[in-house]
Amino acid sequence: MDYIDPHIHMVSRTTDDYETLARMGCVAMSEPAFWAGFDRGSVESFRDYFRQLTDFEPKRAAPFGIQHYTWLCINAKEAENVSLSREVIAMIPEFLDKPNVLGIGEIGLNKNTRNEATIFLEHVDLAVRHHQQILIHTPHLEDKYQGTRMILDMLTGDSRVEPSRVLVDHVEEHTIQEVLDRGFWAGMTLYPVSKCTPQRAADMIEMFGPERLMANSAGDWGPSKPTAVPDLIMELKRRGHPRSLIQRIVYDNPRKFFSQSQRWSDPATNCAT
Amino acid sequence: MSRTAEKVLQEEFLLARAKILELAAIFDRIDRAQSDPTSTSASTSTAELDKTQHQKQLLAQGIAILQETESNRARRVQLLMSRPYESSWREQWTI
Repeated sequence: MDYIDPHIHMVSRTTDDYETLARMGCVAMSEPAFWAGFDRGSVESFRDYFRQLTDFEPKRAAPFGIQHYTWLCINAKEAENVSLSREVIAMIPEFLDKPNVLGIGEIGLNKNTRNEATIFLEHVDLAVRHHQQILIHTPHLEDKYQGTRMILDMLTGDSRVEPSRVLVDHVEEHTIQEVLDRGFWAGMTLYPVSKCTPQRAADMIEMFGPERLMANSAGDWGPSKPTAVPDLIMELKRRGHPRSLIQRIVYDNPRKFFSQSQRWSDPATNCAT
Repeated sequence: MSRTAEKVLQEEFLLARAKILELAAIFDRIDRAQSDPTSTSASTSTAELDKTQHQKQLLAQGIAILQETESNRARRVQLLMSRPYESSWREQWTI
């Protein structure tokens, strides 16, 4: 089955992974900017990173028939450095006209600090001023519930933000309802220990339905599985769910959300849309 | 939902069994380490001991939730393991 991975960090993966993903049915993906595993030292590091995301990765994906899109920001972990964050935010518009840029992301909170919240609000303002969609990172483990609620407070506190143009990622059982109830899109990240397994994601699909819900692998430099979305497809098939429901989660919904950007173009696919 | 409760249980039984065994083995591992005098670290700080105690309580409370008949156990375990949210945070930070 053709599918779209809406959140995967391909800069951390090998070219062999692109080939594997293509063989598994991946026809398009979006890659939010994130933490490199270490704090970067200057705005020039981010400029190079954004060149990688907007130039090199689409070229690396193309031979395998995969369309590569991206989102730009300084991530929440590095937002503790407010002055560097502001330099990066000021530089981001240089890249907003690149053909594979869908918006600002993944912005959010990490340890739910004042500095993180300050920089989050400045990212949201940047997105709104440039009419960009937003992709949200919610915190991990014990910080997720508090941080997700804080993020929703900030998003709903800004009347300029259209919930239908915001994807809130890494939702789990205790955060998904609030995200959907407020009109945002929700992404389940299939990242077994610290986020969600394919089985639990299937449970949430059964409990909350497919409306504004999608799933991603977040495949990155940590212990993660870039082919996690096909694992979810298999789990849903195993439970006897119809192809139409599965396709809605892994293809139709990401396509519908991303289509709000003029830069998105539908991949050549076997999926009837 | 296309599966009956009986079918779900039949399909998931071995998985649940394996996870209960994993938990049992983890608790046994903790017990063995506690009873082994060579594994006791005199340098363990009070903060680390408090953290360990808190983690043990969380696991015990989480297991208790599994035995309750009320549904939404996964959500309730998640909330048990979460920091509390205060709706007044923006006022407190003036942000």
